Order: sequence, then C-alpha cells, then structure tokens
Amino acid sequence: MRDPAQLLAAAADGDRSAWDELESSFGPRMWAVARACGLSPADASDAVQGTWLRLLQNLRNIREPAGIGNWLVTTVRREALLLRRKDLPVISSAEPIYEPDPAAAVLEADDRHLLWKTVSTLHEPCRSLLQLVAIDLGNQQVASRLGMPTGSVGPTKARCLEKLRTLISLQETAQ
Amino acid sequence: MINDEYFLAALRLASGNDPIPGQVSAAARDAYRLRIPQAVTAAHEAATIRSVRDDDSSHLVRFITAGLTFDLEVTEGDGLIDVAGHVSPYPGEGALVDVRSPHMTLTRRITHTGHFLATGLPPGWLSVVCHRPGHAPIQTTWVRIRP
Repeated sequence: MRDPAQLLAAAADGDRSAWDELESSFGPRMWAVARACGLSPADASDAVQGTWLRLLQNLRNIREPAGIGNWLVTTVRREALLLRRKDLPVISSAEPIYEPDPAAAVLEADDRHLLWKTVSTLHEPCRSLLQLVAIDLGNQQVASRLGMPTGSVGPTKARCLEKLRTLISLQETAQ
Repeated sequence: MINDEYFLAALRLASGNDPIPGQVSAAARDAYRLRIPQAVTAAHEAATIRSVRDDDSSHLVRFITAGLTFDLEVTEGDGLIDVAGHVSPYPGEGALVDVRSPHMTLTRRITHTGHFLATGLPPGWLSVVCHRPGHAPIQTTWVRIRP
C-alpha cells in the first residue's frame, strides 16, 4: 500500500496505476466538496475534471506531496465556487493553489467518523437537520420533514454547523 | 475556521448518499493520457481575458512562460468553439500545436507569422501545447470555456 506522496511521485514518473489509486483515494471527497458547494452533477463533474487536469500539470510542483489530498480538495472547492458564480466569465480558471486549506482535513476518514458521531450528539433540530442535509434534501423538503418554515432552514443550518464546528474544535483541543 | 462546504462534504460522505458517479471517476482516470512529461507550463494572465466583440461571442486570453507567449481568441458559435491562436516569437520550422479538450486533440501547423486555427471543439476544458523540434513542449494551463 503506497502513501499519497509515493503515489504522486510514481504518477509523475509515468505509473498509470498510481494515478488510478490517487483517484480512488481522493475522487469521492472531491465530488462531495463540489456537490456541497451547491453545484449540479454536470458542473460538479466539470470542477472535479478541471482539478485532475490541473494536478496533471503540477505533478512535480506540489509543495507537500503528503498533503496531496488537501491540495485536491482545496483546488476543487475553488473551482466549484468559481463555477457557482452567476457572472461566470466565458473563459475561467481558478487561481493556482500553493497553500492547501488545512481545514480540509475534516474530510479525512477518521475525522468524518468523528463528525458523524458528533452530529448524533447534537440536540434537535440540529441532529435531524444535518442528517437530512447530508442526504441532499433541499430546504423545502427539510422544512416539511421538520415542520419549520422554509425560510428558517438556511439560518438554522448555519447555526447548527456553527455548533458542530465548536464541538469539533473542543474535541480537538481535548485530544 | 472550517468552511461550511468541507463540513457539508464530510457529512455527505459519511451518509453515503450521492457517491461519485462512475463516469466522473472514469474521466479522471482517463485524463492521465493527457500528461506530457517534461512539458513547461505557461500560466494564463487573468487580466488579459477580455471580450473582443460587442456580442460577447469572442474572447482573448494570453498565456506566458519564459520564451513563449500564446494569444488565443476563443469564439463560440452553435454550441462549439473555435480557437484562433498566435505564438510568439515564431517557434521555428516544423513547430506544431495541439489544441486539446479532454476528449479531442486537433493538431495544427504554425504559419510563418506564428498563427494557427482550430475549429469545432466542444466547450469545457481547453489547453494548447506547442511542440518545437529540439525543445521541451510548452503547454498552457487548462482553462474552462463556458458552454
């Protein structure tokens, strides 16, 4: 089993199987980030593809090869936020990433497990709301399931994410 | 502070809902054949992307690297795009350009004035590679052309 830095080096040297392994390891979380940014499946597909194309041109330029997962996730988020713009220019490309966002580490498998466990400890309506958001229900459906006005879903979601963020920070501090 | 998108993405992954579609994974894997070993990459200058026609159908973008500048005029029409390009300084006899999308590559000779033309490309991701005899290839960064 090769680690991400080894996979990156091998892919740069022409090892196609290493590239495939990088895709297996990081493709799912890149897709989740693009979709979490609110992109349609077609646009999310474009953002993910653009990120892989960018990596292809930077296989030897990644400053921290061990952090390639964070680089990919940070890059796909930037591409996705650009694609989401209503005034998207005809020709576009996100700025290159030099310093990946350390916050993207929340997508690591261990942290995801902790996150899901922490969601289940939240009080209502946060627990149900975040679980419904996670399965991609729109605001209207979430409102109907939880018996709240549609207009309240967005602000409540923001408050629930804030609580979750606080709890995760406390757990990280305690470790 | 963790961006909400990362949190939401982590929740989505944990729920197992909306997994990455097979064709998105397949396209990412297939992209590896677009790797050009030893290529030098020319970065695009964001400030040079501008509209050159009143109807907004044609746009200019410039890419620069040490030794070579690409000027591309991208024109949309009938759902396809045309690329009229200029490479300077003239890269010399025998130089070729590949105008590439993830699914199609059009190879063109460069005229003595440094010009080339490729028509009928799909919108989406686009990059141009200049091959010069005796030199490393120079590729532009990938840019997205809005459908």
